[in-house]
Amino acid sequence: MANPYDVKRTDTETSLAVRGSLDINTAPQLAEEIDKIIAFKPKKVTVDLGGLDLIDSSGVAALVKLYKGVRSGGGTVAMTGARDQPLAIFKLLRMDKVFNL
Amino acid sequence: MSALAAPIRLSVPGTLRYRAIAVRLVAEAARLVSGSVRQDPKDTLANDVRDPFDTAVVSAFAEIYNNVAIHAYQRRDGGVIEVAITPADRELIIELTDHGAPFDIDGVAPLPSELDEESLPEGGMGIHIAKTMLDEMTYEPGPPNLWRLRKVLPAIEAVSNGRS
Repeated sequence: MANPYDVKRTDTETSLAVRGSLDINTAPQLAEEIDKIIAFKPKKVTVDLGGLDLIDSSGVAALVKLYKGVRSGGGTVAMTGARDQPLAIFKLLRMDKVFNL
Repeated sequence: MSALAAPIRLSVPGTLRYRAIAVRLVAEAARLVSGSVRQDPKDTLANDVRDPFDTAVVSAFAEIYNNVAIHAYQRRDGGVIEVAITPADRELIIELTDHGAPFDIDGVAPLPSELDEESLPEGGMGIHIAKTMLDEMTYEPGPPNLWRLRKVLPAIEAVSNGRS
């Protein structure tokens, strides 16, 4: 199964692009990468959700883990590009305001 | 389409490996009711879920499928999930039947009333998503355990899709 994400790192910033379906089958792969990102203690993480077609609660949990982990390390997280079904899920869970989507 | 078409039936092994097959079938059944069209009709493998009705149905079904595979069958092989989808003119009814362990739906905690950085949940969202997305969701513990999901096409959406 192809990775549902791409990661690019600089000394201060990490960019994560999530694509396809982030669900109970694919989220564990992303969660492993999220652990690495959090351990790196980046000052800024940008998450591009423009390529994300579908998400479920497991996918949401992975992104919440990223958000909390980076914030607790003193960094910021900017999520952009959520649309269609994923945006509907974030709105339903009232996370759109927390994530500023 | 008649008001009460015969159910579309799918029987899959009750593991997450077969989830995508079931979700894809449900997405196509939702299109029968919503009248939505694919962005690219030639790309039938794309996860093309944009219509609000389709979004609600697919999101809810996916969460309940997850629940059955994880809680009823505890991620083990050997179980079966039977899916019966009944499309009608302006609603879709989906029943999932399994023979695994009953789920304690009353034990599901509600989401925090005020959501902020501290209270962002990292689990326990699936049932909430399904219930909120649907017009009706019932669960009858067994075995067999029966989930019944019902979504009605909003009148305004029926008109915009030419189904008035």
